[in-house]
Amino acid sequence: MGTYLLLFLVLFPMASAPLVYPMRNHGAGVRDWFVRLVPAVELTAAAALLVWPEARVSLPGVCGVGLSFTAGGLRTLLVLLAAILWQGSALASPSYFSHDPKCDRYYLYWLLTQGALMGVFLAGDLFTLFVFFEMMSFASYVWVAQNETREALRAAETYLAIAVIGGMVLLAGLLLLRDLLGTLTIGDLRTAVELVPPHRSGQLYVAGGLCLAGFGAKAGLFPLHIWLPKAHPVAPAPASALLSGILTKSGVFGALILCRELFWMDLTWNRVVLLLAVVTMVLGAVLAVFSVDLKRTLACSSMSQIGFIMVGAAMQGYLNGENALAAMGTVLHMMNHSLIKLVLFLSAGVIYLGTHSLDLNRIQGWGRDKPWLKAVFFCGAASIAGVPGFSGYVSKTLLHESIVEYIHILDHAGASSLVFRGVEWLFLISGGLTAAYMTKLFVSIFLAPAEQSHGEGHYMTRGTGWALTLAAAALVILGLTPNATMDAIALWSVSFLHGDPLAHGVHYFAWVNLKGACISLLIGALVYLLFIRNVLMRRENGRCVYLNRWPAKLDLEKGLYRPALNAASFIGALCARVLANVGDLIIFAGEWLLFTKAPYIFVPKQNNFAAYDRKPRRFLVGESFAFDLLVVCIGVLLILICVLLF
Amino acid sequence: MLLLLPILVPLIGGILVFQQKNDKRRDRLALALVLGTAVLALVVCLQPTTTVPLLTIHGQLRLELANDRLSRFFLVLFSCVWTPVLVFAQPYIRHAGRERSFLGFYTMTLGTLMGLALSANFVTLYMFFELMSLITVPLVLHSATNTSRRAGFKYLGFSVFGAGMALAGYFFLAYYLTVPDFIAGGTIDFAKAAQHQELLLVAYCMMIVGFGAKAGMMPMQSWLPSAHPVAPAPASAVLSGVITKGGVLAILRVTYYMYGPAFLRGTWPQYVLLTLALSTVFVGSMLAYREKQLKKRLAYSTVSQVSYILFGLFLLTPGGTVAALLQLVFHAIAKNALFLGAGAIIFATDLVRVDQLRGIGQRMPVTMTCFTLASLSIIGIPPMAGFVSKWYLLTAGLQAPLRGFGIAGLVILILSALLTAGYLLPIITNGFFPGADCQLQRQEVGPKMLWPQLFFALLGVVLGLLPGGILEWLIQAVPLLFV
Repeated sequence: MGTYLLLFLVLFPMASAPLVYPMRNHGAGVRDWFVRLVPAVELTAAAALLVWPEARVSLPGVCGVGLSFTAGGLRTLLVLLAAILWQGSALASPSYFSHDPKCDRYYLYWLLTQGALMGVFLAGDLFTLFVFFEMMSFASYVWVAQNETREALRAAETYLAIAVIGGMVLLAGLLLLRDLLGTLTIGDLRTAVELVPPHRSGQLYVAGGLCLAGFGAKAGLFPLHIWLPKAHPVAPAPASALLSGILTKSGVFGALILCRELFWMDLTWNRVVLLLAVVTMVLGAVLAVFSVDLKRTLACSSMSQIGFIMVGAAMQGYLNGENALAAMGTVLHMMNHSLIKLVLFLSAGVIYLGTHSLDLNRIQGWGRDKPWLKAVFFCGAASIAGVPGFSGYVSKTLLHESIVEYIHILDHAGASSLVFRGVEWLFLISGGLTAAYMTKLFVSIFLAPAEQSHGEGHYMTRGTGWALTLAAAALVILGLTPNATMDAIALWSVSFLHGDPLAHGVHYFAWVNLKGACISLLIGALVYLLFIRNVLMRRENGRCVYLNRWPAKLDLEKGLYRPALNAASFIGALCARVLANVGDLIIFAGEWLLFTKAPYIFVPKQNNFAAYDRKPRRFLVGESFAFDLLVVCIGVLLILICVLLF
Repeated sequence: MLLLLPILVPLIGGILVFQQKNDKRRDRLALALVLGTAVLALVVCLQPTTTVPLLTIHGQLRLELANDRLSRFFLVLFSCVWTPVLVFAQPYIRHAGRERSFLGFYTMTLGTLMGLALSANFVTLYMFFELMSLITVPLVLHSATNTSRRAGFKYLGFSVFGAGMALAGYFFLAYYLTVPDFIAGGTIDFAKAAQHQELLLVAYCMMIVGFGAKAGMMPMQSWLPSAHPVAPAPASAVLSGVITKGGVLAILRVTYYMYGPAFLRGTWPQYVLLTLALSTVFVGSMLAYREKQLKKRLAYSTVSQVSYILFGLFLLTPGGTVAALLQLVFHAIAKNALFLGAGAIIFATDLVRVDQLRGIGQRMPVTMTCFTLASLSIIGIPPMAGFVSKWYLLTAGLQAPLRGFGIAGLVILILSALLTAGYLLPIITNGFFPGADCQLQRQEVGPKMLWPQLFFALLGVVLGLLPGGILEWLIQAVPLLFV
């Protein structure tokens, strides 16, 4: 039964995707019900997966190598999260797309992506993971391009380029890995890695690095994060919620597998991951502070939060043996981030429907008289900023504690802990920046005086309202009962990450743990009051105006990647042309020799190869190359016959 | 004598097609001939392996046919491709004009291909190879413009010159063979060959480079990008999807049925040819990436993709050969779909340049959907067929004893896949997502032109998901070449 359930989870959304068009022919209402129904069925199935935690299935021979699916632990958690997010997005979609005639296309790829994503999370081996990873990347392209505005198409181009490059790099990494280890089954990787002879460990690093680049590109890890701040703002809001909330997690999921199954004790690897994670975390937060676009801020925030999660992944490696806190923090932050981004992006969708803008200056004060939306948005913002009492606080505290724990270990061993103290401060500062940019958003949308009256009354449909309320309520409930709910969830799922058993329960509301959050929030308040209000805002005619002070030149894509790609393609084309013309050059030389050195023959200037005499002869049929060939053939045949007969 | 039928039916039937003046009857006749040949070919495949001597020229020099495993493989491939393309070609060629000559030569070409597949020794193979080159020239020359004339002669020159090189190589080789027939594992007489190994290796290089001209291998690849764009689309489809595979077949015969992998493994020609194949992969993809004309871009793509096959063959390992043959089938399927798509676009809209194709997805949704599926297969995106063959090819490369070439193959093939994505995906994204302001009328081609495209596109998907049948057959058959 569990077997069928796994297959159902993957195949059902994919199989129902093409039905969107026939449903459309029965009317938009039918179609809207259909797109609500499919994720609901999927959510039920995902919940049923809890009953069969050990379900597994393999399909030998499919795709040439064979696919395999496994459930349990983190996979089940992620599958559930994905199903919940899709359901939330489904509730909000019909109202968001009510005026878009091309939304059927969106729904088709939306359902395809869900199936592919389930395949990624349930994959029992890296081959399966790759197959569904690629399907997911390509299917979700349509989400980004859906609006077909200039920016959307450009962002979609970047998205696709990064997806293709990431996918191919990942493929190369997996092939090297398979060549080295002989297996790609996730459960067998650890034993296989231990058997790798030392002289081939170089290949292990290359393979791991390539895979990390592939997964990191999807997760939005620096320096391949460039698609993230571009793609999320232009995608439809229900899609951005998924892109940001759960699709990036597929990359994180892959990176976690690499960290925990291949390099679980490797210091060099952990150092690299930690470095990338910290850079991503800080850079994302800084970009978000500077942004003046609602969804762009949220997108940069996603990038920053992915950095937080990856810090947890690296800390698990450092703390091998006592990494319970880090593992729990990583898992919980993944979960929290998904739910938070669902709330925030769906709210952004509501705001966009009301104002048709995402520019902070144009949507200022829109939410002043909308208490429900205000409350919901506040829950999301407070949670992501790590305010105690909301779920984000719990996971951030766990991650913070894991860094502190490692500092203690280093101090205890007499080693220098300077670097990790630096990491700790960067962690707290990033948390502070999170608080600062969320305050900026909240103040501008919900507290600032409105420019004009935006009209009262109905501003979101019941479906959207339910989705937002339930998700926000989950954030609060989880945040208020961390030991009862969140610890349980974490302990249930960390076995996948080889998390060590927890030595003792965590007192989330003890001063030791609250201290970190307080420092962070204090930094946030300072940044907001001193930096954002003074440097990034200006008063004009009694109104606040948000300024975009981020230097436009500091764009990796425009400044580095595109020119580098163009240069590489130019050089490559040059080499290719030279190589390709070697054969032609020989022929050209031969032609030239033959035509110019023989008497009475002229080389035609025009493009007619067959004519080679200045004055065409008239003999029987007339001059032509084919005729001469024929004559030659007859001559050769005669000679042959003579040779054979005599 | 059953083996002669699939050769003679289309060759003689082609003449009848020339004579037939009534359009409808000619179409029906051609279709019946091609379908009949396909059925005959399948019947031949089901027969037990036999050798049929046709004619003794002198001593051991004789024309002979046989239906061994490799023959069957190619017979099935050729017959599966030829019929759908013909169905597409009939309405297309009515639009291009001079359909009598096209359909006649098209039918006759199938006969020569069948002969090529059924050849039991080199002389027969050579004869059918030259015949195939000659009969396909009119397909390239079809539009009878100056450019097409030039391209046709270029094609003819390269093919004949290449085949001549191969024949010259055979003159050196023939003395050292135990029997003139093709026998799996090679027939070289090691005792005789020991003294003149270098000579034989030079002859091998000559033969492969000569036959490589037809397969689009460097240094004689340049006929492909000239000939494909000027030929009518169905002709380019089969030229690219099938005729180039004729060159691969000849290379297979020389390498595995005359020299034998044991003789060649680890020798310098293997390194040279692997280098040539890999350079061709890169050069083809790179030039396709810079090319602006759709059919020419696809022709460059063929140059690159067929050399994937050659890379697998020259690894001289069972894994490499299995992967190469998989790639051969899957490329034939996908490239046919792409060229038919390009043909449908020309047929409906007269657009030939890539930058004119903005919004083509709105005009021709079905064609472009097929084009998309085939493109994904060519790039190697799961779950399309191309992915499976590329996975096997790269795995085989890494497992081969030549570690350096395995790694180089990995790097170049991945690079080439990226370039492939770079030259195919923009067509699709611009086609389906032209921008919100772009509103175009639907201009789809008729069902006779859509079904063949759908057939190839869906076949690519199905074989990608379930390649089991082909794969198992190959895994059983290929090790016999390595005895």
